[in-house]
Amino acid sequence: MQARQERNTVERLDRPSAYYLGKNKKRRQDDRDGAQSPQQEPEDPLANATTLYVGNLSFYTTEEQIHELFAKCGEIKRLVMGLDRFSKTPCGFCFVEYYTHQDALDCMKYIGGTKLDERIIRTDLDPGFQEGRQYGRGKSGGQVRDEYRDEFDAGRGGYGKAYAAQMERAEEDYGRGK
Amino acid sequence: MADIDRRNGSGGGGGYRGGYQNNRKRRYRDDDDFDRNRNQRRRHEEPPHVKLRKQLLGLAESPLKTIDEELKDISKLIVENYSDERLRENFLEMALQLVHEQPFKIPFIASIFLISNNEKPILTEDIIAKAARALQTQAREGLWREAKLSLRFFACMQGLLENDGVFPLLNELFSRAVDLQTAFTDDGLGLELIKIIQLTIVYLMASSASGFEQQASALLENTDVVASAPHPLLPLVDPYPGSKEVNDHEPQSVIGLLQKQLSDEAANGWPLASVPRPWKFLLAQNPEDQGPKHALPAIELPTTVTSKIRPRLPEVYFSVYADQERETVPSTKNISSVIFRDALVDTINMLDYNRNAAAKFLIDLDTFFAPDTFAKRGTPFDKLKELPEDSSTWKPEDVLVDAVFSQLLQLPNSEHKLVYFHSVLTEACKIAPAAIAPCLGRAIRYLYKNLGDMDLELQARFTDWFTHHLSNFGFTWKWTEWVDDVELSFAHPQKAFIAGVLEKEIRLSVVGRIRGTLPESYHRLLPASDEEESPPFRFESDHEPYAPEAREILKLIRSRASEDEIQAQIDAIQQAAAERGLADPALPAIDVYVTCVVFAGSKSLSHILSYIERCKDRLLTISAAGRAGQRQIIGSVMQYWIEKPGIAVNIIDKLLNYTILSPLAVVEWALVDKLDNGEILNRSYIYEVIASTTYKVTNRVRQIVVARNQAGMMPEQLKILDETLDKERIAMAELFTVIEDALKGVAEGSADGMVENDDPDEEEQKLLRTWGGRWLRVFRRKMAVEQSWTREMLNSPQPQEQDANNTTVQEDMADAVE
Repeated sequence: MQARQERNTVERLDRPSAYYLGKNKKRRQDDRDGAQSPQQEPEDPLANATTLYVGNLSFYTTEEQIHELFAKCGEIKRLVMGLDRFSKTPCGFCFVEYYTHQDALDCMKYIGGTKLDERIIRTDLDPGFQEGRQYGRGKSGGQVRDEYRDEFDAGRGGYGKAYAAQMERAEEDYGRGK
Repeated sequence: MADIDRRNGSGGGGGYRGGYQNNRKRRYRDDDDFDRNRNQRRRHEEPPHVKLRKQLLGLAESPLKTIDEELKDISKLIVENYSDERLRENFLEMALQLVHEQPFKIPFIASIFLISNNEKPILTEDIIAKAARALQTQAREGLWREAKLSLRFFACMQGLLENDGVFPLLNELFSRAVDLQTAFTDDGLGLELIKIIQLTIVYLMASSASGFEQQASALLENTDVVASAPHPLLPLVDPYPGSKEVNDHEPQSVIGLLQKQLSDEAANGWPLASVPRPWKFLLAQNPEDQGPKHALPAIELPTTVTSKIRPRLPEVYFSVYADQERETVPSTKNISSVIFRDALVDTINMLDYNRNAAAKFLIDLDTFFAPDTFAKRGTPFDKLKELPEDSSTWKPEDVLVDAVFSQLLQLPNSEHKLVYFHSVLTEACKIAPAAIAPCLGRAIRYLYKNLGDMDLELQARFTDWFTHHLSNFGFTWKWTEWVDDVELSFAHPQKAFIAGVLEKEIRLSVVGRIRGTLPESYHRLLPASDEEESPPFRFESDHEPYAPEAREILKLIRSRASEDEIQAQIDAIQQAAAERGLADPALPAIDVYVTCVVFAGSKSLSHILSYIERCKDRLLTISAAGRAGQRQIIGSVMQYWIEKPGIAVNIIDKLLNYTILSPLAVVEWALVDKLDNGEILNRSYIYEVIASTTYKVTNRVRQIVVARNQAGMMPEQLKILDETLDKERIAMAELFTVIEDALKGVAEGSADGMVENDDPDEEEQKLLRTWGGRWLRVFRRKMAVEQSWTREMLNSPQPQEQDANNTTVQEDMADAVE
């Protein structure tokens, strides 16, 4: 096991998530021989990231609530609510942009995984907001995770949309005696 | 824990992919369970380097394994595999890293070498050389916390060192401290060095070495001069300035306490009862054969020592469990109080990058000290009295909570953003809710009871923490016990606190939800309606003057009509106001216009921002005409959002960024226009708006200073920056002067509203004056800290890290001490 300078005796919380790294997995595999982690690559898009993706929000959580919590880690430069592509209503995620990279890292460490509006929220370092990313990418307009969810979540529109539709069809079929 | 690299450790990283849309797997990522990966590993005999790493990382953490066995196992493993160079290097590397990242474990790490020294003295030599190199660098770079831990490591190994071991180095460190104390009247680094010496003595005298009593006493005699002298700046960082008159309270400096405690220990033959002595079993087995001793390599202290981060103000010992009927934390007479605190505080501050791990170490506190030092974990407070006479009543939970509060409520600044300490308490509560929650309850009651004597900045921090904490635990609190205080006037600190908490709770939640958590009598402190709708537009009613014009302006703003059309309506209002004989007819027009903008943008933060953007030019024109107009803007925003002042505070903040408002206007609005008899000073949002406005100003000065101190500045660039800096510093001083003048009026009872209003209620008047005094203290301190920081930085123009907590202390700090 190679001793590395930046490795601490306990894991750091201000690293990108497995999701982010998973998306970039291919690239990583290519240079696995070099045994380099993405942070060490010169063009790491997160090296100076000031933006966070924030997930698992309730659809009803407001910008003001988000602002109140996230301002505890530094002044907020921009807050972009995630919206349902069709209804243009909040669909449970947002982007928070700080003025400094340090504030974003601190937010990962101190706020990610704590509660807002009585839900555990998730934060992830993000290379930066781009127009279009505020919309859900799920089939019915919200986030993909809200399509097939088979657990009821009152804060996120009940059952997953696709799952609910499927249940409804099954019920209709049952009603017709099939 | 960290030996599992998240990316590569979970079966090639594929385990998490696709888990994103699946709830079952998603939960898996959230729960921060370090051990999960470990359990999934294939079961096979681990190679020695993995086994060693694991055992070393987990050293002393498990209450199930005896420490003797653990130490023997590790020692055996490393001795057997010494010839494996990579394994050896990694082991030494990590042992030293643990010394600097997990200070609780230092006596245990040192004991590994005490045990292995007989068989492999070369290993001891290796680690001593490595640690000496580290200490050398730390001393040179001014990293004194790390240096303290290196010294502690050596102190624990004193029994393996030749001659006097660490003592000569401590004596030299003492002479550096004396140099600093002689050179600067208000030196803070020297005090820090004294504390390092004192704490090193603790671990030296609890080490396996013996026969150093004489040397320790000699050194203590030396430190006494510095440690026992009252420091002139101590009152400045006193968390409870108000209690001075009441019960003759004096803030206690940590080094002063330690000095007394150490003399007591010396007088009693150094029992140091709580310090772990894991090497004991070894000496019992093999008293004679400890292997050869080693020389401590020469470590050169720089002739003039400096500090990389924040030479501090004197450190005050703070406790929320001080005056209980049963001692749940060691009293300040007992040296354990400082030993625990020191190790806890370092752990908390160094592990800010993983609050879960930090909280876990805190919860495991009792495993890192001598057996039976504490009562059993989770013993309820009222069960302590049932314990046998001679057993400890110290609750590990109280001790750790106390330490977190000491950092959350440290003046003038904490080492990290305050939300970090919130999060540590939250995690500790999640790990052991039944044990921690009642401790927090007692801490909260103590802080609540003493609010009136507390430094006002700390009251704001307490409010903010309490609210945030409750929001993480379903907003549950026993509100019934404070029901009587709801009947008090807002001038009572307890009532003001309650109001501040409820207002902040609503910001993080919604009115209806919060109402549901409160007894009926609190409801009148909340907005009247649970509906989360925008407050009404008061010009809907024709009883309001200028209502038709206002409605027209609102329509014009919404429809992006031309400025000319809006101007026509403004002119009409001004004319009508002039006809009514108003002194400044521009003001009602500004009020109408701003109310329209705020109402139009009332739906959300992004709405108001886009309306401000749309109306920017006119707002800037109003602003340019003078501060009277700016003060009207603030007044109109505040009036519209009076039930949710948090939103108003936010809007004012944005208007400051747009330079539509100047900081001075904000201060004048609150502390001149609205001051009256000082009642406004007990609203927490007013403190918030003034504190955040002054922060903007002071932070700007700091940024300019940092910019100008950057290496490679061209002379002309420097000139421009220095001119800007001069201007900003003057503006900062002016701002603080306005604050000072206004607050002095209240503190002395000479404010306009107080004189006119010959209030028969004397108690109320006295309370209001107290608020003035509490505010005054905070802003005097802020000014003193900023001025000395700036001067220090201008005098030492080497590039420094941009760190808002970097404060140094000079004479003008003394001015702030009343």
